[in-house]
Amino acid sequence: MQHLDPDRLVLLALAEEAADPQESDHLAACADCRHELRSLEHVAGLGAEAAEVRELPPPPESVWAGIQADLARAAAPVAAPRRPSLLGARLRAGDGSRDPGVPATGERRRRWLAPVLAAAAAAVVAVAGTTVVLRGIDRPPAAEVTARATLAPLPTAPADARGAVRVLADGELVVDVQNLPLTTGFHEVWLIDPDDTTKMLSLGNLPARPEAVLPVPPGTDLHRYRLVDVSDEAHDGDATHSGKSLLRGTLTS
Amino acid sequence: MGPGEELAERFRDGDETALRTAYERHGSAVLVLGVRLLGNRADAEDITQATFVAAWTGRETFDPERGSLLGWLLGIARRKAVDRLRSAARDGRITDTVRSQPAPPTAAETPERVVDRLVVADELSRLPGEQRRTLELAFFDDLTHPQIAAVTGLPLGTVKSHIRRGMANLRRRWEVDGAASGPRSAGPSRAR
Repeated sequence: MQHLDPDRLVLLALAEEAADPQESDHLAACADCRHELRSLEHVAGLGAEAAEVRELPPPPESVWAGIQADLARAAAPVAAPRRPSLLGARLRAGDGSRDPGVPATGERRRRWLAPVLAAAAAAVVAVAGTTVVLRGIDRPPAAEVTARATLAPLPTAPADARGAVRVLADGELVVDVQNLPLTTGFHEVWLIDPDDTTKMLSLGNLPARPEAVLPVPPGTDLHRYRLVDVSDEAHDGDATHSGKSLLRGTLTS
Repeated sequence: MGPGEELAERFRDGDETALRTAYERHGSAVLVLGVRLLGNRADAEDITQATFVAAWTGRETFDPERGSLLGWLLGIARRKAVDRLRSAARDGRITDTVRSQPAPPTAAETPERVVDRLVVADELSRLPGEQRRTLELAFFDDLTHPQIAAVTGLPLGTVKSHIRRGMANLRRRWEVDGAASGPRSAGPSRAR
């Protein structure tokens, strides 16, 4: 007997009709047709079950927010490599010699590495920009502000330089700066302990646009590290604060 | 190139809007897989989040030639869910996990089966309109070919060919993307 007709196999797989004795005999003897029928039966079974997974409710928006937060954290070491404090107390072996513009995780950011090496300044802007774009996608409209600071110019900065900082409930810090002087290096945002100004942490670099969103490391005590500082940093491979502060302001909740 | 392939390419190339689109298109399927495998929604949401983060950071390992974006995402989610169940078992929390499951997983409810079902459902939603409609009537409403012809007003021969072609499309997708398909191109826990 010939192999079973494809239309016939579909009918059998859908259990719309039963195999007649001749077809049963053939199926018993023919591994190919048996395999065809089993596959179609399996697909028909899955197709019937597909009813329950149609038009699924979307995940809650908090999942998307979590994805963005995780990716921002993953991207942060690129835009803002963790730096030792001024005292170097937490200086890790090898950290000081690493070009701060080079991502620590090379493989996965391979495509970003070339421009970083080619032009560190441009790459920092580009990578930081990526972070901002990523964070900016469909942000829930009313992220709660937990603390604010107004940034005023220090004597090193033009008198009209200024900035505003908002800390959001989800652990992001939004920096909005204006009239910063041009730099051959880059601008960096720090949180400093005003009671011991050798204690500070770097939040990252400012992209070439007015507003930047930087993740605050989880667990940071913003009552202690409440002084927001924007500095002018040179591409000198020195991970510590340059000492050239441009703007400062204190966070209040 | 269909919309799925185009999205896959953009995703792989690092286009951030593709991440959001992929999430909107496939987030619910990933979530459902998590719920089915882990039995509770909070863990499933964690898995969904972790899956998209891992997919995005590992997007360069995604090979569109070897399967769809959905299949790849579900593969990641499945491994993450299984890892979580294993570590829960190690921590002795498996009883809690099991207890929290709404219904005990049956033999038919293996991770593979859930993945296959989601993949087939996705392919079904992508079939050309009439093909999809006839298959839905066959699968969901359990109508016979003649009944479908009567309901839709299509000639019986057309119904037959829609169903045969539709089944072939689903089967092809299942073979490429289903849980039993070849090793995925990415995934930390699967040795290559």
